[in-house]
Amino acid sequence: MNRQDLPLKNDIAARFVPKIVALMVYLGTLCFVFTLFMVHSTESWEKQFSTQLTLEIPTTNKASSAVLQTRVLQLLQRTPGILNATPVPHKEMADLLQGLLGEEVNVEHLTLPIVIDITLNGKEIVDVPTLEAHLKNISPQIHLSDHRGWQNQVSGLIHTSIMIALVVTVLILLGALVTTTFATRTSLLIHRQVIEVLSLIGATPTYIANQFQRNAFKQGLIASGIGSGLAFVTFIGILYLMENAGFSATVRSSFFFEALCVFLFVPLFTAASMMISVRFAVMKELNQ
Amino acid sequence: MSEVIAQFEGVGHQYEGGSEIFKGVTFDIKKGSFQFLTGPSGSGKTSLLRMLFLGLKPTWGSIRLFGEDPLIMSPNVLPFLRQKIGVVFQEFKLLDHLNIVENVSLPLRVLGIDTRQGYRQAQELLDWVGLADCHKAYPPSLSGGQKQRVAIARAVITRPHLLLADEPTGNVDDEMAIKLLHLFEELNKMGTAVLIATHNRLLLDSSYCAQLLLRGGTLITKPPRRMHS
Repeated sequence: MNRQDLPLKNDIAARFVPKIVALMVYLGTLCFVFTLFMVHSTESWEKQFSTQLTLEIPTTNKASSAVLQTRVLQLLQRTPGILNATPVPHKEMADLLQGLLGEEVNVEHLTLPIVIDITLNGKEIVDVPTLEAHLKNISPQIHLSDHRGWQNQVSGLIHTSIMIALVVTVLILLGALVTTTFATRTSLLIHRQVIEVLSLIGATPTYIANQFQRNAFKQGLIASGIGSGLAFVTFIGILYLMENAGFSATVRSSFFFEALCVFLFVPLFTAASMMISVRFAVMKELNQ
Repeated sequence: MSEVIAQFEGVGHQYEGGSEIFKGVTFDIKKGSFQFLTGPSGSGKTSLLRMLFLGLKPTWGSIRLFGEDPLIMSPNVLPFLRQKIGVVFQEFKLLDHLNIVENVSLPLRVLGIDTRQGYRQAQELLDWVGLADCHKAYPPSLSGGQKQRVAIARAVITRPHLLLADEPTGNVDDEMAIKLLHLFEELNKMGTAVLIATHNRLLLDSSYCAQLLLRGGTLITKPPRRMHS
């Protein structure tokens, strides 16, 4: 039997704080893991688009288009920084268009351009304007699409969203700490008489603060463990629903390891932060 | 010459907006001394004791406790000074959520002494004050006299350098009052200085110790009565 000198488990603050902390940790962890998810999924997407160019050769007649294609491919092979250039098969183009235009339109009657997918090696910088000028020499109607311009805009937007998500996560955690601090002050008022007795028999502020911080750590660990566990279940549920709805994102396996670390370490981090903020609040009050 | 534990020089006190309780109080408590603080109700006995356990600052004068001036010392020193003082409060100040063994052993826990050892010592003291049968009882279930004995056991468990008791026999019968007086005397023989605030005539007449009489805002020291052979 080793009961705490302060009956912290029974006060109103003790009943109210874990619920708030569990909710905050649930929201914060979910927000943080989805931010991580966005970072990982946009990383592979960004990498893919920053090394891709698309080239379009209009088809006037089959024979001249084939010649143009050969000349273009030869030029591309000579251009430094290009890893490979592959013409998109006609059937693939037709299927893609069919999907966009619907079954009513017969795509066989449409004149489809030759599309060449260019993959850059990513190590050397490709001089796109010079390449475009060389292509225009072959045929002025050749069109080179560099996705990097709009990709930069979308990427900027995603990074802003990630920053906002991180700020929200930090604010949620700060909210949890502020709640804990206010609850501690309430607790100090509730247990004023017990604290007075402890002080009169020679208890140091550190001795009293230790009781509060031990309780805060235990409460924080349980509450944030529940919050993090629920966030894990929600996250798995959302991934499952996304998968079923056909939105399968490409993320590396390292993401799942990192997410698992977040779910495991957030309770520890929250409990430790609560413990420190409670100690700080108690010591400040007692020293006054 | 005995070592002086506490020294009051021209001490006075006045509550904010209230009248002056006492003034020019000068006395000292020597190591191993035994004194009674007596006087009519409202004369300021409790306030004087509160100054001794550093629960009240004087309005005038100076106090030295264990060589420290409480008015200028660092707040960090305060708990360590209080650890040298045992106090029996008039209103007991027991913690209702702890049983009496836990209450009595509390000062030992504060000192960092092992809990089991603390409980053992607390049980011995509780046996001694006649509460052997209710170790696991909680304060709300005890009578006033029982609470008083628990409070005394808690105050003496650390064998403090100075024991202050505010009306320690206020809730016990004469037989228990004399028994408690013997308890204080035994503690005193072990070197603890004792100051008991009381107006219990029986206690005052049963003892041959010095008396500090607080009356009309001033303190009069009455030397110990001579023992008749």
